[in-house]
Amino acid sequence: MMRPSQIALTTFYWAFIVYLFLPLALMVVMGFKDSNFIGFPINAWTTRWYVQVFQDTAVLHAFGYTLLIAIASTLLSLVIGIWCAVFLGPARFWGRALVFAVMCLPAVIPGVISAISMRIFIRAIGMEPGTGAIILGLTIHNVPFVALMVLSRLGAMPRSQVEAARDLGADSLVAFLRVTLPFLFPSLLGASIFCMLLSFDDFVRAFFLGGYQPTLPVLIFAELRSGMSPAINAISTVVLVVTAALGLWAERGTRRLKGTRR
Amino acid sequence: MATTSERTGNDAALIRPQDGTRGFWTRLTANPAYRQASDLLLSSDRRRFWLLAVPALIWMFGTHLGPILTMIRISFMDSYPPTAGRIPEMTLENYLLFFQAPNYITPFVRTFVYSTCYTLLTLLLMYPIAYFLAKKLRPGRQMLFLLLLLVPFWVGEIVRTYAIMILLGNRGFLNIVLMGLGLTSRPIPFMYTGFSLGMGLVYLTSLYMLLPLYASLEKIPRNYLEAAADLGAGSWTRFRRVTLPLSKDGIASGCVLVFLISTGYYATPVLLGGPSTTVFAETIAGFFHVAGDKWPEGAAFSTIMLLASLVTVGLFLRLLGRRRGNLLG
Repeated sequence: MMRPSQIALTTFYWAFIVYLFLPLALMVVMGFKDSNFIGFPINAWTTRWYVQVFQDTAVLHAFGYTLLIAIASTLLSLVIGIWCAVFLGPARFWGRALVFAVMCLPAVIPGVISAISMRIFIRAIGMEPGTGAIILGLTIHNVPFVALMVLSRLGAMPRSQVEAARDLGADSLVAFLRVTLPFLFPSLLGASIFCMLLSFDDFVRAFFLGGYQPTLPVLIFAELRSGMSPAINAISTVVLVVTAALGLWAERGTRRLKGTRR
Repeated sequence: MATTSERTGNDAALIRPQDGTRGFWTRLTANPAYRQASDLLLSSDRRRFWLLAVPALIWMFGTHLGPILTMIRISFMDSYPPTAGRIPEMTLENYLLFFQAPNYITPFVRTFVYSTCYTLLTLLLMYPIAYFLAKKLRPGRQMLFLLLLLVPFWVGEIVRTYAIMILLGNRGFLNIVLMGLGLTSRPIPFMYTGFSLGMGLVYLTSLYMLLPLYASLEKIPRNYLEAAADLGAGSWTRFRRVTLPLSKDGIASGCVLVFLISTGYYATPVLLGGPSTTVFAETIAGFFHVAGDKWPEGAAFSTIMLLASLVTVGLFLRLLGRRRGNLLG
């Protein structure tokens, strides 16, 4: 019953899905290969690479360190992003378009330039490369995304809600905390998961701004440069499972929230 | 200062504590110290505006613009970090260096040619998929099919680059399949070429093309197409005269995002590319891996790259006849 164009589009879609998933699936499978050599065919299977990864303190430290950085930068990005959105949302002033453009700037600068300009910047302000610098770099990169998500949600908010709170005696801070913030919650959940994923996976900022302690992507990169091994597959698979689970959980959460609260 | 816009309801005295229900917020608004601070800072629209504006503007101009301006400033210095007791002089030499050596210009040109090609390729690949999602599926299934596409993009740059390495290696899946089918007798060297790099970049960036395209296609009302059909337009004419022009915003946003993001990758070209595919990001990074006085050169090269990418994007948007607007929207 389907028309040829429909069949062609459907086939193309599924072919693209295969293109997206096949490399990741191969990577997962390769992590169970019982050999030091990466390549097909796989003749013997093992789980020893996973055992090895979970005993490797360098990997575990990098994992914890990356998680810490991701959480810290997400929290900072949320506070600053909400602040910028609440400032820019209702405000009408001369030069607003310019301020808006400056706010979005970090989102469109190519990654490597953003990282290198930050490297120069932290030197100029006398900051050492390391944890603080990575968190700052990631926060700067994340703020535009948070602000844009919050702005779009703010635009959907009826003015009457805040006005009602004000009429009932709340000053603007209390009205913000008790009316606006709860209304923003679905967008905040979405934004924070987005920031977590961006920060956890970020390589280029961690690479240029990091100190001696590597984050997980930097550690994987360094190992890859010295040679491929199934142990890297095992680490990558763990990262894959963690990020995919986080993403799926967030997707479900935000959709349910939007469904009930709108 | 006159508090013209003060509301009568702003007075905490109006809050009548209900019996036994003096919650945190009531106590806070009744607290004299909080009242004073609130009156001082929040009592007029103008004060609220400045209270919000000052920290936000300091953050935006300090950290969003600061690094770029610092980079540009240092790109004109003859040495950085400054040596003690000597004031760095302003010079254009770092910029002239770029034009003097072909081993700087080649990666630069390559980066822009490659990124343009990959962006157009991504557009050609993603348009049918966005069209399929937005126009050929029931709304209920759209989210499911979109989610399926989204999942691989939650995984980071490095892990996905590595996955491509496993696919394309000499003993990789693609070569094994090709040899198994008897199409080739020896492994084809896919890795460390423009092909592997392109494959990786399309793999990494296609979502940034898909989402704007999908958003713009999804907004096209169905009755526009029906009206065109009633007026006798065939399916190709409908696509060319209605769908394509109305999805121009999505095309513009998608291309700009993919172009800027793909020029900014560093690890992917290092891992997937070879000596014949060195991109400008690697050239720039080279200045920062060595100790000593290479920072101004690196800063100048970064500035050149930033300017060139912004000019390319500007020209492209001009070409599409799109007013400057919200790229991310």
